[in-house]
Amino acid sequence: MRKIYKVAQREFNETVRTRTFLLGLLLIPVFIVGAMVLSSRFAPRPDAPRPPVRVRVTCPAAPLSEKIEDVFAEHNRSHASAWIAFEVQAVGDAAVQEQGKQDLRQGRLDAYVVLDGDLEGGKGAVQLFTYKPKPSQVDAIWAVERLLREAVINRRYEARGLDRKMLQEISNVPVRWAELGEGQGQERTQGRGQRMARMMVPFVFMYLIFLGIVGMGQHMISSIIEEKNSRIIEVLLSAVSPFELMAGKIAGLAAVGLTVMALWGVAAYGTARWQGMSIEMGSGLLVHGLIYYVLGFVLFSALLAGVGSICNTIKETQSLMMPIMLVFVIPLLAWPRLAQEPNGELARVLSYVPPATPMVMVLRLSSGTEIWMGEVVLTILVLIAGVLATMWAAAKVFRTGILMYGKRPGAREILRWLREK
Amino acid sequence: MYAIELDNVRKSFGPVQAVDGLSVRVPPGCVYGFLGPNGAGKTTTLRMIMDIFRPDSGSIRLFDTPASSPMRTRVGYMPEERGLYRKMTVTAVLHYFGMLKGMSAGQVRQRGAEWLQRIDLAEHAGKKVEELSRGMHQKLQFAVTVINDPDLVILDEPFSGLDPVNQDLLREIISRLRQEGKTVLFSTHVMHEAERLCDFLVLIDRGRVVVDGTLDQIRAGHEANAVSVELEGDAGFVRTLPMVQAVKPDGRRLEVTLRDEADPQELLLALVARARVRTFEIRQPSLHEIFVQLVGGRHAEDL
Repeated sequence: MRKIYKVAQREFNETVRTRTFLLGLLLIPVFIVGAMVLSSRFAPRPDAPRPPVRVRVTCPAAPLSEKIEDVFAEHNRSHASAWIAFEVQAVGDAAVQEQGKQDLRQGRLDAYVVLDGDLEGGKGAVQLFTYKPKPSQVDAIWAVERLLREAVINRRYEARGLDRKMLQEISNVPVRWAELGEGQGQERTQGRGQRMARMMVPFVFMYLIFLGIVGMGQHMISSIIEEKNSRIIEVLLSAVSPFELMAGKIAGLAAVGLTVMALWGVAAYGTARWQGMSIEMGSGLLVHGLIYYVLGFVLFSALLAGVGSICNTIKETQSLMMPIMLVFVIPLLAWPRLAQEPNGELARVLSYVPPATPMVMVLRLSSGTEIWMGEVVLTILVLIAGVLATMWAAAKVFRTGILMYGKRPGAREILRWLREK
Repeated sequence: MYAIELDNVRKSFGPVQAVDGLSVRVPPGCVYGFLGPNGAGKTTTLRMIMDIFRPDSGSIRLFDTPASSPMRTRVGYMPEERGLYRKMTVTAVLHYFGMLKGMSAGQVRQRGAEWLQRIDLAEHAGKKVEELSRGMHQKLQFAVTVINDPDLVILDEPFSGLDPVNQDLLREIISRLRQEGKTVLFSTHVMHEAERLCDFLVLIDRGRVVVDGTLDQIRAGHEANAVSVELEGDAGFVRTLPMVQAVKPDGRRLEVTLRDEADPQELLLALVARARVRTFEIRQPSLHEIFVQLVGGRHAEDL
């Protein structure tokens, strides 16, 4: 135990002192916030300047054509930069339609529209034709579609003798959502942003776990590769057993991970409070989060210790990392469903797949839904079983692989190591 | 009690039988040479003694206890593939390895300082390992090996890659350890190093013992049949003497090879009778020659 502690202590000190680590500690949150700010800054603008879209509409019904012209003209008045060059034809026989399609194919038009049937009466359809539309034009064509629908709706109101303005007034019901504070009179209006942030809370917890596990895993790989490349391993193995070495590394890096997560967690919590969001964080969640994190990290880093021991360069490890990473990414991809149905089928099943367990369970626990304690205990037991199996296999691979230089052993050879006593 | 006792140890890697029924006894307080061509199984054997590999069968005991026990804190091991943490300082490296070998912080500080004095690295104690020259790095590696004051020191090809100054330093350290009553086991394929330092030798080839014993014992089995002589005057008659098989000029001297059953003393008598003898030297066979003879031509180029 003393040796494991010594190895862990060195691993912690040396990792925390490296420049890459300190940069990562600061830069990852900066990067995440930056990405969020930038993506909202770079979101598509409705008034983006673009070349005019050329549209021809064939509409035999005169009252509807009028509405169409009105709507397009109105659009062009308010969106000077996203001009739509339109023309409306009243005659719609087969020859005219064929001519329209021909013009579209030859590039004289960007979209060709035929309105037929009794659209006013709620029958028929708007047929919109395009020919190899440019990707940058697709959303402009959506605008055309929206405007046409608008024109048809306007015409329908008119035909039925209804006042559209009036209906809009009727359907407009303002709601103000306010979050109460603890004290009397403490209220805070909840905008869209706050509501989104609240929905994100479980995801943030899961993402913290993900970063803690995967980010620290990188340190595990580089630490092993460094010891292998600088030929320290055998000197070390004369003083500690391979298992002690592996266990010490895992313990040291888990401690680094906990430190990092505590720092980020406090920073995120502080920011949320400052933004006026009170997040319910029971001590139960913290304790469970800690258990799941430590077990998840041990599982992941034991896998990586095995991978690192059979590789000679970081580059070699990457191809082996891919399949491992995939399992860890599944909860990240599935999170909206998991957050929406914390007790749903998918969430329940994934909770028992060891590499995904910690993230899925932290997500479920932080989603505010009641989770049966038995399930928590059961998933922890399954996770522990997974950890023990992985440690057992990793220790065997580590023991033999760590002293192999040169060619990477194949799957068959690794299986043989696992069978050795 | 033996410092190291190997009994019928076997180890294979897949189809390769690296060590094939090896039995070796290393008495305490001696310098023991582990010789053999490349691929003979030397490193594998040393790794098994260090419990880095486990033997497939057979037993390994250190000071009468099984090799896998905490005995290893009494052993210092310097592998052939050796290195140190490049980003750590000299002091930190010594401290870390000392602690791993079960020393207390106070002991490490004291012995670390002593060793840094002894190998002239005291003024570089605060430097990072990557800032050291290659020679200094090698010296630090010796210090790491013996930081825990081990009773048994195992060195795998310790002289390979050393500059001449450090070769002398290492020889001095080995002699000092023997004076202190420690046991030193080292492997090498450089025969003259073994000849110079070892009390006992074992030659292994293809995982088996070919010959072992003290240097004299090994030589005794391989009596010399070569004599180097220097005569005044014409030496043409030597070729015609009955006990002489061949004569080869060697500068001012003659290299005389005797017939198998001949006694060098008879040659001396015959020479004195015909000419003045300036030098008469019975050539001791070198280990190199003995081993080439034993292992055969297959590995002659490796020895």
